Amino acid sequence: MDTLNILLIGFISIVVVKNLVFTKFLGICPYLGVSGRIDMAFGMGMAVTFVVTLSGTLTWMIDNWVLMKLGLEVTRYVCFILVIAGAVQLVEMYLRKFFPSLYESFGIFLPLITTNCAILGLCLFLNLWNINSLLEAVVVSFGAGIGFTMAICIMAGIRENLNMADVPKCLKGAPITLITAGILALAFMGFAGMIR
Amino acid sequence: MTDKSEVRTALYGQTLIAGLWRENPVFRLLLGMCPTLAVTAAVKPALTMGCCVIFVLLCSNIIVSLMRNLLKPHLRILMFTLTIATFVTIADLFLKAFVPEMSETLGPYVPLIIVNCIIICRAEACASKNGLIISVIDALGMGVGFTLTLCVLAGVRELLATGAIFEIQILALLKEGGWFVPWAAMGMPVGAFITLGLMLGLVNVITKKDA
Amino acid sequence: MTLQHCGRKGLVMLKIKHFIQQSWLLIVASFFFGLLIAVTNAALSPKIVQNKINKRNRLVGVLLPEAKNFVLDTEIEIESIQGKKEKIEVYRAMSEAGECVGWAFNAAGSGFADKIELVVAVDKDFEKLAGFDVLASNETPGFGDQIKYDYYRDQFKGAPAEELKLVTSGEPKNIDAEIVAISGATVSSEAVVEIINSFLTQIKEQMQQKGQISNDRQE
Repeated sequence: MDTLNILLIGFISIVVVKNLVFTKFLGICPYLGVSGRIDMAFGMGMAVTFVVTLSGTLTWMIDNWVLMKLGLEVTRYVCFILVIAGAVQLVEMYLRKFFPSLYESFGIFLPLITTNCAILGLCLFLNLWNINSLLEAVVVSFGAGIGFTMAICIMAGIRENLNMADVPKCLKGAPITLITAGILALAFMGFAGMIR
Repeated sequence: MTDKSEVRTALYGQTLIAGLWRENPVFRLLLGMCPTLAVTAAVKPALTMGCCVIFVLLCSNIIVSLMRNLLKPHLRILMFTLTIATFVTIADLFLKAFVPEMSETLGPYVPLIIVNCIIICRAEACASKNGLIISVIDALGMGVGFTLTLCVLAGVRELLATGAIFEIQILALLKEGGWFVPWAAMGMPVGAFITLGLMLGLVNVITKKDA
Repeated sequence: MTLQHCGRKGLVMLKIKHFIQQSWLLIVASFFFGLLIAVTNAALSPKIVQNKINKRNRLVGVLLPEAKNFVLDTEIEIESIQGKKEKIEVYRAMSEAGECVGWAFNAAGSGFADKIELVVAVDKDFEKLAGFDVLASNETPGFGDQIKYDYYRDQFKGAPAEELKLVTSGEPKNIDAEIVAISGATVSSEAVVEIINSFLTQIKEQMQQKGQISNDRQE
């Protein structure tokens, strides 16, 4: 029961309280770029969730079972980014071969995800937050992806409506998106302190 | 002979200035947003981050430019990533050793320089195609442009959030007998997003006027 | 058959040659970069470790002024507030003369916004708190952030090393087991009290079991 408690709290806290986009400023580049339409946003969110769960788990395993045992923590960043790049390549090849329709719908997002700060950021946060068990690492990584998807879909919904609003010319595009994100961040601040 | 060196100097000058304004990485190219939002709560971390980025950008551009003729096309990105990751690790070690408080404030955002689009994009767009000197100048231009942008943003945010810039008190706080009530929101994610959005809008206004 | 054998061997050689041709740069570069990182790490890691030690010494030195250096005494396993098992290092503060003047340990738990990390110092008999300092916190500036300020921290200096209670109103100048919360920051204040309570009681119990500190309070 205790484990289930920890897992549930970990999941909720990373989706809402410690949302990667609104509190840790990760994944902003694709967030600004792809949040134009809800279907694209959802696709990107799903791709990110897929990759981040896989990379989070792999990097946690390598970090705890190899690097720390051998005292090679200094090579952490190099290992993580290589694992992430490799994981994305593998996922791409695997999808292209076995699920071509899914691959088509992900489109160009998959290769872009390698440089998504959210992935590397999450892998580093797993280390920073002293996540001790593999199951917790998987749940937290998955939660991070879900949180990102939720954030980007909310933004896409708002932006679709903003298109019809009377936004001043100089603020069209990235500026108004950022201001909206700021207000959303303010709203999400209300969740702080929810988990004790 | 003089013509050629004049043309070359002009090219160098242009490349340098491009990074500062015309192709400013944050305001015009919209790259590297994540650290811009995360570290600009105060000027000191912003400056530290900027210097790290300049260091990594310089080293990676130099190495990539030296290697540019030996790179195989499909291993290109891997090489760039490896180079950048190495130099970021080195920069992180230096920070931890010489400025530990800053290293703690910046936290996980230093290794995130690896995936900072600015560095990979410059390696891809400039260093892998041009000679050593142009790559170095480009790196300096982009790096200094990025640092200046970060400092401007951080200056605005720190001033409004605490009344101080670089921890030197400028506006007298109400608590200490002055008049200024700090805008705590500026130090938080809200302030980051909104300040960057408004500054981008401002830049758009200025550049529309120029164009 | 010999021809086929030669052909196959030739193909393998060709493949290896092709592989090396394509990736020799990668291999050489990896080696070179690895070397660079290893050298930098070897040169700087003593300084990094020293920085951590200096920081702890500096913070606890303020709370326990007679302490000149700190010696790792024991590692105690306790259960954190979230139910996770953690190993805590307990340091013995030694004065110039080599006497134990107190103990120090790190404590952490979740606050309002994020994790709060504290360093807690107690006197040599584990009877009174010498105080605490905040190592890392992300509390709301102007509200929860005030756990770093003297109004709140001073209440812990000399407080009894037992279960502390948070109250919302009272006299903060009274040094007792009641801690007056910061107005507008009840959650952060409560978090600090809970962290100290949880860690202190468990560490004290285990230290007594190990015989590090005496059980009777007649001294």
